[in-house]
Amino acid sequence: MAKIRESIISNCEKKFLIKGLEEHRRLDGRAFDEFRELHIEFSKDWGCCYVTLGKTAVLAQVSCEIQQPKSSRPSEGILIINVELSPMSAPHFEPGRQSELSVQLNRILEKCIKDSKAVDLESLCIKVNEKVWALKVNVNVLNHEGNIADCASIAALSALAHFRRPDISSDGEEIVVHTYAQRDPIPTAVHHYPVCVTYAMFNEGAVILADPTLLEEGVADAHLMIGLNAYKELCGLHLGGNALMTPQSILQCTSKAAARASVVIQQIKEALEKDQERRNQNKEFIFEDSVQFDKAASASNLGFYLDKWSTKQQKKRKNVKHVKEESGMENSTEDSNKGTVESFGKGSAVLLPPEDDNNWKTSSDEESESDIIPDDCLIKGDDKEYNKSKTKKKKLIK
Amino acid sequence: MSSINCKLGVLSRPDGSALLTQGETTVMAGIYGPIEVKSQKLLINKASVEVCYRPKAGLPGIGDKFYESIIQNICEAALVSVLYPRSSILVVIQEMQNYGGLIACAVNACCLALLSSGIDMKFLIASVSCAMDNQGILHLNPDKIIWQNATATFVFVFDSTVQRIVASHTSGSFSSLQYQDALDLCKNGSKEVFEFYKTVIAQEISHES
Repeated sequence: MAKIRESIISNCEKKFLIKGLEEHRRLDGRAFDEFRELHIEFSKDWGCCYVTLGKTAVLAQVSCEIQQPKSSRPSEGILIINVELSPMSAPHFEPGRQSELSVQLNRILEKCIKDSKAVDLESLCIKVNEKVWALKVNVNVLNHEGNIADCASIAALSALAHFRRPDISSDGEEIVVHTYAQRDPIPTAVHHYPVCVTYAMFNEGAVILADPTLLEEGVADAHLMIGLNAYKELCGLHLGGNALMTPQSILQCTSKAAARASVVIQQIKEALEKDQERRNQNKEFIFEDSVQFDKAASASNLGFYLDKWSTKQQKKRKNVKHVKEESGMENSTEDSNKGTVESFGKGSAVLLPPEDDNNWKTSSDEESESDIIPDDCLIKGDDKEYNKSKTKKKKLIK
Repeated sequence: MSSINCKLGVLSRPDGSALLTQGETTVMAGIYGPIEVKSQKLLINKASVEVCYRPKAGLPGIGDKFYESIIQNICEAALVSVLYPRSSILVVIQEMQNYGGLIACAVNACCLALLSSGIDMKFLIASVSCAMDNQGILHLNPDKIIWQNATATFVFVFDSTVQRIVASHTSGSFSSLQYQDALDLCKNGSKEVFEFYKTVIAQEISHES
């Protein structure tokens, strides 16, 4: 059967990425051990959440039904995890078909969540050997921008922690399942929160990147996926690819991953609390995504402002020459024509270029050069944010 | 009319994407196109339109395949597929939250995603649903409770040029007079949807420029 081909990473892209890494730069301006921003949002339905990690987006939904238990484990409920690579995430994914990637992801999530016994399966038992609850976690990948494993593991875990199954009552023979309206539903018992943390290796383990993007994933020699919970207990380890790594670097990665895992788990718990608050207030549930939306808007705006600066720069140079030839203008007014500063997202601001009519007032090439690097246009807010956005902007300009 | 909200370009991979919320029903739509076509679906005179509907839990069943075919018919009517021969246009719809009126929401999300992908269309499409309760009263864009207790439900899709019916889907029993009433009600409702499209696109353009 013919298949839509996956887009291939070109040699120049590869070389550019690796050259950047040699200079300690990533294409998106992150530090080597920096992760993309995580955003968790719950839906009105129990056990449904939408998780974005950078641009990677995943939707998870937990559903339940009553089944006969496995004969080997008559008193334990069943947990099924299924990762579905929707064609929305990339056109070469075929719906309903198991690909190598989806099998691998399924297995990693199973190792991480199911095999680490994060969910109390015994509490899902209704009647030994006859009826147990089967929980099914469906993870739909909506946008594939690298590191699906982390995003999917966070989504699956948050959905499980958020899920409530309907209450049941039994008179010994018959089992009655009560609807959510009749009786309060029962939350799932989650013993610990294991999440997946991914690292990509380059140059035989010399360069290790946290949370690789799609391009970085494609170029990397190997991937290290570490399942960890908040108690720094290892719940799964997967090393794929062909990196010759020293045991030390794996241990280093694991200790770094432990710190990350506790941050992620904290965020999951906060999101769950926030959701509970929202439910108590009886607010309307729509996928607000307000944070996410603002970011997307500001990111595109940022590009827009930078474009504007670069075009200004060209114009200026022409004008500057013009001015020099004519009279050698004074540069006393340079402070007043720096443009206006507008606040722009968290802890950063944008310097709007001055209006067209006075754009030639700077008098030397050097000055116009320094103008376009918007060091002075950033308002120092939160220090960390400040530095991040600063480096980002610089990089974008370069 | 229940509240309607939309975000365009939520996903980076698809050529066009939209997250649409009508009332409490939420649908995500993503468009790829024109892209390489599978050899068995190749058409030499026009693009083949493929629609994929994903429920959020479990495998797609008969009902989901039915949604797929409805949306495919609508898309084929609205797209100028002759402009893209030997290629395919892939439409993926993901259910995010279902509280009644899912098809209408999916069609509208699809239209906005097509708009944001910049693919050629003959006209815009707007879908409006209404439900008739047991007293014969029609409710425009009903919520889940009305939807579940309705004796009949109607979903209409209109085009933006002369407001012709592109698709009509009904369930339950009703008289022809009631059908006409429902049609008129939905036609009025569709104007609001088209107005909404305009504001969304205007916002999008003002963000870009």
